[in-house]
Amino acid sequence: MASRPLVRVTAPIALLLLGVGCRERRSVPPAGGYEEHLSAGGLAPPTAELRNPHARDKRSAADGATLFTAMNCDGCHGGGGAGWVGPSLADGRWRYGGTDGALFQSIFDGRPHGMPAFGGILSPDAIWKLVTYVQSLEPPADVPTERWP
Amino acid sequence: MTHRRVVVVFVSALGAMGAGRVPPAAAQRSGQWTMPAGDYAATRYSTLTQITTANATRLHPVWSFSTGVLAGHEGQPLVVNNTMYVVTPYPNVLYAFDLTREGYPLKWKYRPAVDPNAVGIACCDVINRGAFYAEGRIVYNLLDGHTVAIDATTGKELWNARIADVSQGETTPMAPLVVKNRVLVGASGGEFGIHGWLKALDLATGRPVWTAYTIGPDSEVLVRAGVFRPFYGGGTDLALTSWPQEVWKNGGGPVWGWLSYDPSLDLVYYGVGNPAPYNPEQRPGDNKWTASVLARRPADGALVWAYQFTPHDSWDYDATAEMILADLTIGGRLRRVLVHFDKNGFAYTLDRATGEVLVARPFVDVNWAKGVDLATGRPVLDSTRLTGASRGNVKDVCPTLEGGKSPASPAAYSPRTGLFYVPTNNMCMDYQAVPATRIAGTPFIGANTPYHAGRGGHLGAFIAWDAGVGRKVWEIREKYPVWSGALTTAGDVVLYGTLDGWLKAANARTGTVLWKFKVGSGVVANPITYAGPDGKQYVAVYAGIGGDWFLLAGDVRSDDPADVRPPADFMPDIARHTSQGGIVWIFGL
Repeated sequence: MASRPLVRVTAPIALLLLGVGCRERRSVPPAGGYEEHLSAGGLAPPTAELRNPHARDKRSAADGATLFTAMNCDGCHGGGGAGWVGPSLADGRWRYGGTDGALFQSIFDGRPHGMPAFGGILSPDAIWKLVTYVQSLEPPADVPTERWP
Repeated sequence: MTHRRVVVVFVSALGAMGAGRVPPAAAQRSGQWTMPAGDYAATRYSTLTQITTANATRLHPVWSFSTGVLAGHEGQPLVVNNTMYVVTPYPNVLYAFDLTREGYPLKWKYRPAVDPNAVGIACCDVINRGAFYAEGRIVYNLLDGHTVAIDATTGKELWNARIADVSQGETTPMAPLVVKNRVLVGASGGEFGIHGWLKALDLATGRPVWTAYTIGPDSEVLVRAGVFRPFYGGGTDLALTSWPQEVWKNGGGPVWGWLSYDPSLDLVYYGVGNPAPYNPEQRPGDNKWTASVLARRPADGALVWAYQFTPHDSWDYDATAEMILADLTIGGRLRRVLVHFDKNGFAYTLDRATGEVLVARPFVDVNWAKGVDLATGRPVLDSTRLTGASRGNVKDVCPTLEGGKSPASPAAYSPRTGLFYVPTNNMCMDYQAVPATRIAGTPFIGANTPYHAGRGGHLGAFIAWDAGVGRKVWEIREKYPVWSGALTTAGDVVLYGTLDGWLKAANARTGTVLWKFKVGSGVVANPITYAGPDGKQYVAVYAGIGGDWFLLAGDVRSDDPADVRPPADFMPDIARHTSQGGIVWIFGL
């Protein structure tokens, strides 16, 4: 039986994945803190603040949506990031913070309980596009209440 | 918001010899429950007679215990030497309750260190399907690819063996089967592109004895000339040549269901899960031995026969459901058979010595195939229900990839009534396959598959099945899919739980519901029965919705304020009736 390639990477995904495997060596400053942390003495620790270079850019969000599927993010977080075995990314709530830096860090370094680190196979720019996509997901109007007729 | 709710479903794992030793066959007769299905034949039938159709209405709770864990509580307790053993979902705590004292206090509990990374690699909640008692040891799997043996008396860890690799997508929620000092274990990961296997460990030490892959060359599948005699077809390297080159190495074929054993034939039977990925166009060929039943010799793992229920599975129809061994009269002849209710919607009755298909009839609505050709053993496909990325969104395939019956929810067989008692799902799906890329440690799926209710609008039913002819005898319709296992007894009572949190007892001959009790959370576990130290018959079961319903009904969750999900659109009100929560229940008369 004929062999065929397992992976058929479409041209747009291939472009997005440029930089995969040749990541910049730790050019990213650590950004461990996030706004939900309480700070002892009321003083936040000094830490670099990461800014999403693609913030609110629709084209980057669309690229991020393509990556979200191509990198199997939807396999855990569900289509549209609605939640699956991994938590919802579309409910406006965050385990590890929703700032640019916290989201970047979650993807780059991974998180406990099974979020893999993608910093080894994705360029920082591709991760920022994923962040842009996740930030573009609008939470529903009334998250806390579920009511039955 | 425009909510793109795409359902990507996975479904879709020594010392104390004298004192605690109970031979498995004798154990069940003495009112104990020493292995997952109660016996090697996987019948989930108890010879205890105190609870009957006449008095089942008097059942009432006598004890309950919160496990402290919220994930889905599949599996079942064991009862050995007046001790009840309970394994929780991750983090896989093992509790030992003293049934001889008031309030059943703990004798001990064992809290292993389990790698939390396994939580994100477990496809469908962090469930555990239970433990096995053998030679004074409680043997079970931790989620993160370890098997442990615990001294049943002291709770001390006797050995802890690494059997699987989480970084490759393998997790281990399945319940082991112990045969002749061999601990048989497999791994989940059909949604992560693993290379599936069954391993035998030495009961005394945990050391590996043999590994039998489900896919690959004969040398890895343990196919030996002169030993392997399949009823249909034959040849060498079938599990290699039925795949494209290289693709087989990530072809799935996990082993996460139940095993059974026939001592007279000395054969172990088990089902193999789905091929990976769900998009079948990435893996032309039959994809042996995925979606198949395998019969192996426990001593050396050699494959004796194999039969593939769903060749080139294109619907995620894992065959990991239990293989129930029974002796039935078919066509006037007493046959040693194996009965299997497959995810693909057909109930199969096979000659368990040879693998010949004797009966194959749908037990739920099926439309992907028109039947099974008994001459070839192959399904007769409906070409309009074939799937693949180039076919777009294929509508209304029945049953769904949750199965006509969930493999997680084992059926029961009563030799008194001659009937099989089967939890079923009445759902159909749309199947949109898409190309998938394997990246180790991430899901490898390739399909979006939203569900809808099947004919009649109810989502499930609990049925009685005559496997000699392939006929439904009675059914109890349920509003929701039935995701608990079944238990039947010599009192002609059958018990099962519902997703909205009822434990029910019914007349095994008529299907009349005799009694029900709301247990606090949906039941995805399997009831058992045993004789207590007072000589009375008890029933035990876990409450604790989860498993696939952790994924599908995100709004039954309660433990994570940073994760708020919409309800499942095909059953938007399940969260009205249940939330998460692990509870062990014991009922008596």
